[in-house]
Amino acid sequence: MSEDFEKSFVKQLKQNQNIIHKICRLYTNGEDAHNDLFQEITIQLWKAFPKFRGDSKFSTWAYRVALNTAITLYRKSTRSVSTISYEGQYHFISPEEYNHAEEEQIKLMYQALQKLNDIEKALVFLYLEDKNYTEIAETLGISEVNARVKMNRIKGKLIKILNP
Amino acid sequence: MKELDLFKKAWKKDIQSYHQVTELEIYKMLHTKSSSIVKWILIISIIEVLFWTVISVVYNTDEYLKKMDLENLNIYFKALNFLNYAVILVFIYFFYKNYVKISVTVSTKQLMQDILKTRNTVQYYVWYNLTMILFSLIAGIALAFVYNPKMELLKDKITHESNYNTLLIILGILVLCCVIIVGLFWLFYRLLYGILLRKLNANFKELMKIDL
Repeated sequence: MSEDFEKSFVKQLKQNQNIIHKICRLYTNGEDAHNDLFQEITIQLWKAFPKFRGDSKFSTWAYRVALNTAITLYRKSTRSVSTISYEGQYHFISPEEYNHAEEEQIKLMYQALQKLNDIEKALVFLYLEDKNYTEIAETLGISEVNARVKMNRIKGKLIKILNP
Repeated sequence: MKELDLFKKAWKKDIQSYHQVTELEIYKMLHTKSSSIVKWILIISIIEVLFWTVISVVYNTDEYLKKMDLENLNIYFKALNFLNYAVILVFIYFFYKNYVKISVTVSTKQLMQDILKTRNTVQYYVWYNLTMILFSLIAGIALAFVYNPKMELLKDKITHESNYNTLLIILGILVLCCVIIVGLFWLFYRLLYGILLRKLNANFKELMKIDL
């Protein structure tokens, strides 16, 4: 494969890496697993890159491949225990912008999201990425109506987890 | 939901800093090996096909027939062998067709279905071989019973016995052997694919539940 082709892929991946990090953050519970999943997603993206025609944004194309990898292709259990936990791993970019209470809430939400199953996480991810229900349904291969119903149920589940 | 909306705002602003991967690191990743489930299924499938194909070739009846002076039956076994090779070719064609269809860019449901379909193709092949082996085993014993001179004594015993004890014992051992062989394979596959496909099956079930 040509060098330019590889270069273009690496450049686009580097620019869009946060989307993959976000998926890894949702689907793993430690730094080691995070990096491992990131690597597998990168390999899968690279393998599928010849089919990427550029008629959609790289990020739109990447999140589908990344989600499919995390849910289906990635062999290791995404719930496996890791030696280095996420606690204290991630730092907020500008602490002064966010007050402590807000930060705490975000942490709690991450913990609640960890309790969802893989499919529910995918729905939440797409919802957080502002995808409409047509796109969510299409990405997962379910009907639009049921995607909407399921998302509402997940919200209910999250409320229950957050307010036991 | 208030909490989720707040979270969404924070999410979109990328307030969390992730360790940014450099271009050099990405280059390195491109040259590492994937450990995806599809790759494992391919490796295991190739081993399985080789194993069963070797078994079906090695398990040759010609010698046995010669020994028992039954070469007139050879034509049937030749036909059976021919069928066996045809099945292998058909199987490899379907396996390849299903395997190349697996693409990570389709919907999650489609991807899962394609993987499971590929997996099932191999499974059918395994069951076909197991059936053939059991069939040959039973046919072999039946032939031996009818044609093998060494069996005369046993046959005599069965015909002269007022009850069917000997016959029942032979049948019992035969059934037991079949059950044990099938059981062992079943257990082996349950373990192998139970471990390999546990996550995939669970997620597939979960996904199907949404559309119920």
